[in-house]
Amino acid sequence: MPHQSGARGGSPMSRRSKHASSWNNYLFVLPALLFIVVFIGFPLVYNLMLSFQNVSVYNLNGKHDFIGLSNYYKSLEDPVFYISLKNSAVFTVLSLIFQFTIGFALALFFNRKFPGRNLFRSLMLLAWMLPVVISGTVFQWMMSGDYGIINYFMQSLGLIDKPINWLSEGRTALLGTIVANIWIGIPFNMIILLSGLQGLPEHLYEAAKLDGANRLVQFRNITLPLMKPTILVLLILGIINTFKVFDLIFVMTAGGPVTSSTVLPIYAYQLSFSTYEFSQGASVSMIMFIILTLISIAYLRMSGKEEVHA
Amino acid sequence: MTKAPWRTALLTLIGIAIMIVFLFPVYWMIKTSLTPVTELYHNPPHLLPAGATLDSYINNFVRNQDMLKYIGNSVVIAVGTMVLSLLLSIPAAYALARLPIKGKGLMMISILSIQMLPGIMMAMPLYIMFSKVHLSDRYAGLILADLIHALPFAVITLRPFFLALPKGLEEAAMIDGCNKFKAFTQIILPLVKPGIMTVAAFCFLFGWGDFIFALTLTSSDAIRPLTLGLYRFIGQYGTEWNNLMAVATLAALPIILIFILMQKHLVGGITAGAMKD
Repeated sequence: MPHQSGARGGSPMSRRSKHASSWNNYLFVLPALLFIVVFIGFPLVYNLMLSFQNVSVYNLNGKHDFIGLSNYYKSLEDPVFYISLKNSAVFTVLSLIFQFTIGFALALFFNRKFPGRNLFRSLMLLAWMLPVVISGTVFQWMMSGDYGIINYFMQSLGLIDKPINWLSEGRTALLGTIVANIWIGIPFNMIILLSGLQGLPEHLYEAAKLDGANRLVQFRNITLPLMKPTILVLLILGIINTFKVFDLIFVMTAGGPVTSSTVLPIYAYQLSFSTYEFSQGASVSMIMFIILTLISIAYLRMSGKEEVHA
Repeated sequence: MTKAPWRTALLTLIGIAIMIVFLFPVYWMIKTSLTPVTELYHNPPHLLPAGATLDSYINNFVRNQDMLKYIGNSVVIAVGTMVLSLLLSIPAAYALARLPIKGKGLMMISILSIQMLPGIMMAMPLYIMFSKVHLSDRYAGLILADLIHALPFAVITLRPFFLALPKGLEEAAMIDGCNKFKAFTQIILPLVKPGIMTVAAFCFLFGWGDFIFALTLTSSDAIRPLTLGLYRFIGQYGTEWNNLMAVATLAALPIILIFILMQKHLVGGITAGAMKD
């Protein structure tokens, strides 16, 4: 009898403690989840709702109407939207091509063993860690027309014959911000690629050397195929991060002169915070969001495919 | 396999050359901050400091103390972002790595996707929300906004540190009479200290470097950080680049210090944050 009652008493006890233990596991994630719901989820939904309404600074506290997709149509009819879209594409593609190739070249270089390489490698990260406002200000000074050091170097090298006002001329403003963004992005690309390179099996290279393959052949036949997953992830992350750049361009040119360096985030900012057409700005944000989501889905599908491969 | 010493020496020399070119902007910032006004517009420019002076620092941080206020605000915001991110992310990353909870996959995907959101997309709804609940122009509002990017980064970076610990640690601790929370705080946490340090450094950096939320969610100088101070300074002083570069250098100083103290950990933090699932 005592044995039986003990067993009967024990069973609900253990079930209860098991239940309690799985319930309080959620306490660990609860604060973070609450934050995400209130300060990320809610603003996102709010932004979506705004994009279907006619809210501006004038009727913020009054009555708003749902106006369907009008804001989207209006955005898609605005020539500045297309200029921004084009500038965003140019900014992203050019930044990425150079960040990636220079980063890759440096990663290959720093993957060789020589004294000081670890120090150099981490020193480069400094460029990536500096607040973007600081880097932007420094580049603004270096690119200034009258006394900027970049004009001085380029003139000394005979690349240009008279100083260029890099950031205040429509032809070169976007280019100036791209150059600064490339500088900021190189270390990140280098570090990620370098960590990929360091994971490659060394015996493959030794075997290739025995077969008489030179460095170029080794690079094309061993390094590139094995690095493909890393490269794909890095490029997609690069597209997403470059597409959202705001601070740097805002500090260096504020999107100008006129619209020559206005990218989509700057355009959305101007609608929301210069003309205070909140709903119009929200619709541009949503369009950006859709573009980024499509890129991210491509990323998830690609990384999923790579996992299946592995 | 030992290579000729001249070859590695050559590689080191190339490395130094790359460093000089690549870090030139950082050098130029510091050099300009030490240049006297009279030499600033010298043609051709002096590449090495000529007649270095601390005038720009004295002007901006001793005679005119506005910048000190901005620095203080940046410290409050950066420390607040760091502390709050750690408080929220450490238990979350732990649970996502080691506890049996439902919906882990969904949570990880959401946290990853948050990183994709453009700052401006969050800034506008937050601006309206905060103005309704009296969080605009408050440190708390800025810190919460900075958490939008700091928190997902912290969770994603910390999780692999928890995953790397041997299985069964908690069970062993619980047999010794610890409950779940005690096992977490007393056994697990000390083991992931390097990860926590890395994440703390990055979250401080997010708070210190934030610009877009400071720009959109504040309207009074009383709480504005140094990044915004620097930006407004460009507008006010135009081409006094020596003064501007002194402010920029001082704003970069905490980052450079963190960098020197933690450089080994930071490399690991970046690769973990970017590449792990």
